[in-house]
Amino acid sequence: MHVLLVEDDAVLADGLIRSLQGHGMQVELARDGLQADLLLQRNPSSTTAFAPPGQLVVVLDIGLPGIDGFEVVRRLRARGDTTPVLLLTARDAVEDRVRGLETGADDYLVKPFATPELVARIRALARRNAPKSTVLTLGNLVFDSGARRARIGERALELSAREWAVLEYLLQQAGRVVSKQQIIDTIAPWGEDLTLNAVEVYVSRLRLKLDGAGLSLRTIRGFGYLLEAAAAS
Amino acid sequence: MKSIRLRLLKWLVGPILVVNLGAAGLTYLLAWTPAQLAFDDGLRTAASSLAVRVRGAGPAALAGTAPEDNTGEATWTALHGADGRLLAGTGALPAFARPGMHDATLHGERVRVAVAEVAGEGGPGRVSVARTVRARQQVRAAIVRSLVLLEVVFSLALVALVWFSVGNGLAPLARLRARLDARGSADLAPLNDDGMPRELAPVVDAFNALLGRIAAGARAQDEFRANVAHQLRTPLAGLRLQLEWLAARHAGDPETRRSVELMLGANERMIRQTNQLLSLERAEPNRFDRLRLAPLDLASLVAETIQSFVEQAAARDIDLGFELEPAPVNGDRFLLRDLVDNLVDNALRYTPRGGRVTVSCGRSGDGGADGGGTVLRVEDNGPGIPAAMREGVFERFVRLDEGSGTLGSGLGLAIVRDIANLHGASVALTEALRGGAVFTVTFSPSA
Repeated sequence: MHVLLVEDDAVLADGLIRSLQGHGMQVELARDGLQADLLLQRNPSSTTAFAPPGQLVVVLDIGLPGIDGFEVVRRLRARGDTTPVLLLTARDAVEDRVRGLETGADDYLVKPFATPELVARIRALARRNAPKSTVLTLGNLVFDSGARRARIGERALELSAREWAVLEYLLQQAGRVVSKQQIIDTIAPWGEDLTLNAVEVYVSRLRLKLDGAGLSLRTIRGFGYLLEAAAAS
Repeated sequence: MKSIRLRLLKWLVGPILVVNLGAAGLTYLLAWTPAQLAFDDGLRTAASSLAVRVRGAGPAALAGTAPEDNTGEATWTALHGADGRLLAGTGALPAFARPGMHDATLHGERVRVAVAEVAGEGGPGRVSVARTVRARQQVRAAIVRSLVLLEVVFSLALVALVWFSVGNGLAPLARLRARLDARGSADLAPLNDDGMPRELAPVVDAFNALLGRIAAGARAQDEFRANVAHQLRTPLAGLRLQLEWLAARHAGDPETRRSVELMLGANERMIRQTNQLLSLERAEPNRFDRLRLAPLDLASLVAETIQSFVEQAAARDIDLGFELEPAPVNGDRFLLRDLVDNLVDNALRYTPRGGRVTVSCGRSGDGGADGGGTVLRVEDNGPGIPAAMREGVFERFVRLDEGSGTLGSGLGLAIVRDIANLHGASVALTEALRGGAVFTVTFSPSA
C-alpha cells in the first residue's frame, strides 16, 4: 500500500512516516501543496511514479504553504483522478469539515488523531480503490478472499460461509469498531433474517478458531466488535 | 436622558406662543383704537355743539345738561374763561389750556374730557365736556376677554398639534428601534434601510458600519481560535506519534517505557484541554446558531464516538458498554458530539480501574403516550459523588479529586451543562442503584 503524505510540519511528518511504515505502508512525503500537485499529476500515467495505479492513498493536510489542501483535491478531481484522499486538519470548524468533503475528499480526520484510527481509515480507503481479489493479512492471519483460502501461519483455517463473511468484514474494518448491525447489513444485505444473537454466535466461534493468530477480537458490550493485531509482546 | 420630543416641543411651542401673543396685542390695538376714536368723536361733537349753544345763550346754556344720560354714562360740563376762571358748570373739572381730548379724574372716576374753544363777548373761553368711560371699559374688557380666551384655545390646540406632529415625525425612530429590538443577539447582518427617512440614513449607516466592525471582530476571533487550534494541535499530533514510536521501540526497557508513558499521558492531557477550550467556546450562547439544529439520532451520534473511547477504556481495563435505542432529538450535531464526548470521558476518567461504564439512550418513559422526551444516560460503578457536591461539579474548573492523582481539567461537565442548556435539555446527576454516578441528559419532546 502506498501513501502520499502531504504535511508541512516536520515533526508530525516524520512521526507519520515512521508510524505508517511500521504498518507496512510505503510513504512518499510532499512538504507543500504544489509539490503534492506535481507528484499527483505524474502518478496515473508515468512509470516512474511512486505508486502503481490504484494503490495510492493521499493523506493531505489542509493548511499547507503554497496552495492549500482544498486546492490540491480540487485540482486532482478536476483531472478526473479518483485517487482516495484523506484530509488531515487541525481545524474543526463545521464549515471546514463540510467543505473538505464537498471538494471531493473521501474522509476527514481532525488532528490530533489516534494512530490506529488513521491507519484503519487509510486501509479502508485503499481497499475501496483496490482490485477486489486481495490478500488481507493481520497478525499471523493471511486471508485470501479471491481464492477463498485463509491460514494462520502454516495452518489452514476452516470457516463456514457466514463465518467467512463476518471475518472478511472485520478484517476490512480492522482497527475500527464495528457494530453488530453493520455486520448484519454487510453479510446479509438482502434482508435475510439474521439476528444480533446469530452474529454473536459467529463471532464467538471465530474467536475460538482465531486462537493463535496474533489477533485481538474485542467485544464492545452492547454494540459490536473491534479486530486488531494483538499488541506486540 | 434628553427627550427629542420635549426639545422639539420647547423650540416649536415657545416661539409660536410669543408670536401669538404679539398678534393678540396687535389685534387688541386694532380693535380698541377705532372704538376709542368713535367714543372721542361723540364727545368732541357734544363739546362743539355746547360751544355753539354757549355762544348763543351764554353760560346759561350749560344748565340744561343732565349729569346722567341714557347710555349709563355720567356727563359733566364746565365753562372756563380765557384766563382759566370758572364761569359756569362744575368746578371739579380742571381748566385745560388747550382744546382737544384729555384724560382726567372726576369724583374718583376716570373721565374723558373734550375741550372746545368759545369766542364769546367776554373774550374767548373754553367749554369742557367730561364723560365717564364705563362703556369704553366694558368694550375693552370684552375685547380682552375674547382675545385671552382665543389665545388659550389656540395655544392648547397648537400644543396638541405639535405634540402629534412631533410624534409622527419621530415614528421612523420608533420603527428603527423596533427593528433593532427584533434582532437576535448574535445577528450581525446590516440593518435594512428600506422606508427609513433620509435624515436617519447616516444613523443607519453608522450603525451598519459598527455592526460590520463587530462582525469583523467576531470573524477575527474565529480565525484566531482556529489558528490557535492549528498551532497547538499539529505539534501535539507530531509529539504523540514520536512518543508512540519511542514507546514501541523501548517496550523492553521498563524505565524508558514508564517515562515515555508519562509523556504520552501529558500529551493526551494537552490535547484534551486544547479540545475542551475550543468546545467550551463553541458552546458559548452567543455563538450558538439555531439554524444548525437538525433532527438527529443520539444513538448514531454515540456510535460515532465509540471508536475514540475504546482505547481509553481498554487502557484502564474498564468495561465500556452501550444500550442504544433510537433517540431522536433536534440538535447541533457537533455540539452534541462534544456533550457525549465529555460525559463519557468524565465517566472513564473517574471510574476506578476494572470498573464498568454504560452509555444508554432512548425515549424517556414507556414509549411515552405524552410524546415523551429523549434521554442520554451515562452510568458508572465508581464511588459516586456525594449529594452535597453534585451541583458543584457542573461549574467550570471545579474538580472533586484535587490531589487524588486523576488528571482532569474541570471543564468537561461545564461544557456538558452549557451544551445541554443550549438545547433546552436538563442534566441531572444522581446515584446509581449499586453506587456510582449516573448523568442523565433529558431533552424535552419539543426540543
